[in-house]
Formats: sequence, structure tokens, C-alpha cells
Amino acid sequence: MSEISTEPLVMPIANEADIVAARQRGRTMAIELGFAGCDGTLIATAISEVARNILLYAQRGEIILCCVELGGRRGLSIEARDSGPGIPDLRKALTDGYSTSRGLGLGLPGSRRLMDEFAIESEVGRGTNVTMTKWVR
Amino acid sequence: MSSPQRPVAPHSYGSQRPPAAVPIGPVGAIGVDEMQLTDEEVARRMSWLEITADDIANLTSIRDVARGYAAEVIEDLYRHFLAFDETRAFFRDEQTLRRVKAMQTEYFLRLTEGNYDREYVRDRLKIGAIHQRIGLDVKWYLGAYNFYLRAVGSRLMRAFQDDPERGRACYFSLKKLVFFDIGLAIEIYLTTIRRQEEAIRELSTPVLQLRAGLLILPIIGVIDPTRARQLTEQLLRSIRANRAKVVVMDITGVPSVDSRVANHLVQTVEAARLMGATVIITGLSAEVAQALVLVGIDLNRIRTVGDLQGGIEEAERSLGYRVSRVEA
Repeated sequence: MSEISTEPLVMPIANEADIVAARQRGRTMAIELGFAGCDGTLIATAISEVARNILLYAQRGEIILCCVELGGRRGLSIEARDSGPGIPDLRKALTDGYSTSRGLGLGLPGSRRLMDEFAIESEVGRGTNVTMTKWVR
Repeated sequence: MSSPQRPVAPHSYGSQRPPAAVPIGPVGAIGVDEMQLTDEEVARRMSWLEITADDIANLTSIRDVARGYAAEVIEDLYRHFLAFDETRAFFRDEQTLRRVKAMQTEYFLRLTEGNYDREYVRDRLKIGAIHQRIGLDVKWYLGAYNFYLRAVGSRLMRAFQDDPERGRACYFSLKKLVFFDIGLAIEIYLTTIRRQEEAIRELSTPVLQLRAGLLILPIIGVIDPTRARQLTEQLLRSIRANRAKVVVMDITGVPSVDSRVANHLVQTVEAARLMGATVIITGLSAEVAQALVLVGIDLNRIRTVGDLQGGIEEAERSLGYRVSRVEA
């Protein structure tokens, strides 16, 4: 699998177009990695959810896409990083329907359901870091 | 002293595009007047570039020097333009070349004439707009400025051989003003691009009436908040104008549907419902449907039908139409 780049790809998120670019890039990478088309859509959707949060709350940040391999399994890992206001109550933020921006409140819990692994770190005033991975089935 | 109606040379670059053929309207063209900056805005930009009264004095002090080498600089510049296919294409014949050189000279001399006021800005914006309109890419445009500065810089230094300090000061003043001009030119390029994007967006969501009371709205491309708003507005307007009862909204051509987009769709459907119209959404792919369910979108309030044909059939049924084949 030498043709698959393991170099992390950093995509800045500062506007709508960046979200579309990140999501399209993520889908392409997923298909290249051997994901089925429907999984590619799930990954792309998760990317746009977290990228949307960056734009909504932190105005700017980045999405880092990286091909990972563990115990013979290959997967796509997505990291969403920003230096925004941070999330005071992570438990609430991960609850369906909780939103501080009049959205549907499905971004974080929804992304968690779309991916296999999901972790979030956030510090008020410092920023938020979401890491999620999906494995090729 | 520039009067408010300072005449501006009839700018028409390139004989291949006579002034009469210049597109007028929202697409492609941008009225310089709508971009006109206020006095405060002009002052603000000047202070960002640190253009002071000294700079203006420097610039006007080299007016005669500039007149001295203007013709040479212009000749150099056009030799450079003609050496590249991409820029040569704009000068088809001798006559065109002569005319644009005359205009270039006018531009050049204006740099050292003082009065860098709103009228000056207007003139500069106009020049930028013309270059944008004839299709000259920004990279050539900026490259030409670089050439300009270099061609002028070396001559300025030569003219101030005995007082290099002074020559340098004048050069820096000129550079500030040139950057002021560049800023204006780029701005008009960007504004035009934005305007075109808006126009394309507007065109990309046609609301079509299929039968009395039945509208079709095929959506192609990315739905961002701006487009979602336009789409909703346009749909609601059409519902009223056509007294529509049923709308079939086809999203086959939407590449990315996430919770935000789904939310926009739900809101559009709700708004249409308040106007008395039912919306049927078609073209939701199996993959997107799966993703939306996983994300947790409640699509209960939305009527969906697999494909456009099915959607139209259902709409017709609910309006009481029966489509039947005429037997021979």
C-alpha cells in the first residue's frame, strides 16, 4: 500500500468553501483507502459537521486528514483543531439537541455516531480538538 | 484642482472589443460608481500605506522628471508586454497599441500630479475594471506593476545621482502610491468575481412551473447558508406568484448534505407549508439518507420520494391530475 500517503494533510477552515474542500478531500481519501462508497459519505458528513463547528464557534481552524494503520487494519483519522472559545460542558455538547448556536445540536453527537472512534478535548479560552477515526470494514 | 466632473478618457482597450460591446449589467461588469469609496475610506487607506503630506510633496516634486522619462518607460513596458503571448494578444494592431500607450502615459503622468482624492480613486478603479473586463489575469496585471516600479526606479536613481537620498525618498513615495493603486485594482477584480458568483447562484436555482399549482425546484451544487436563504426566498416568491400547491424539490445534484443543509431544507419546507404549499423532496441518495439518520436528523416532517419522476407523479396525484396514455 505504498501508494497511499500517510503524510497528514492539513486543510485550513475559514469559510464555507473550505468545508466543502475538506469534505471532498476526505471522501476521496476514504475511497482511495478502500472504504465503500456509503462509508465515504458518512466520513464526508462527519468532516462537514466538525468543520462547521470550527467555522461557527472559532471562525477558523484546521482539519487534518491522515491515513492510519493498526494491526493490519487501515483507517482514516480526522482531527479538527481550533483555538476558539472552547466548550465549557463537554457532556452537554455531546448530547443530542444541545446547541448554543440555534443549530440542530447534532454536530458532535452526530459525528460520533458516524465514526468508529471519537475523542474530544476542549479547554475554555484555549480551543477544541476533536479526533475521530473510521476503519475500513 | 480637480473639478468633480474631471473628464476621464474613454477607456477601451483592444480593438477586438469596441466600447459598445462591453457587457453592461450584473454579470461581468461592475459599476465603478457603486464601488466609490468615501473620503474617510480613502484617508484610511492612505494612512495604512503611510502616505503623508511629505510623500505627496515628493511625488509632485518629480512631476517634471517623470515627464522626462515617461515615453521611455512606456516603450519599455510595451516591449515587455509584446514579448509575451498572453499579454501580446491584447494588442492586435498598431492603432490599438498607439491608443493604449497614450492611455498608459496618461496613467503614468497622473501618478505625480497630486490630488489623490476620490476622483483619483474613481479613475484607478475604472482602469482596474477595464483590465478585468478584457480578461487580463491578475498575475499579468501585477507583473506589469513590478515592471513599472523597476523601470521608474532605475531612472529616478539616475536623475537623482547627485542626491541619492532624495531619489530614494521619492521612489518610496511612488511605491506607496503604486501599492494604493494595486489595492484598488485587486479590489475591483475581487468584487467582480463575487458579483459573478452571486449571479451564478441566482441562476442555479430556477423555479419551474410544471402545471398549474405544481412547481419544480431542481437544486444543483453546494447549499451554503447564503444559497439556502436565496433558495427559500425564491421558492416562497414563486409559490405566491404561481399560486402553487405542491412543490417538488429535487436534490439529486447536491453533493454534500449534512445536518446544517438538512436543517435548511426542513426550514424551507416549513416555510412553504405556511404559504399553503406541500413540498416533496426527491433525489435523496441512499448513502445520504443513511448519514442523515445516523446524525440524527428528524425527517419525519418531510415527504420524500426516491426519484424526480416518482415525486412528480405523487404531486400530480395529490393535485387531482391523472396522466394517461392516449390509446391509438
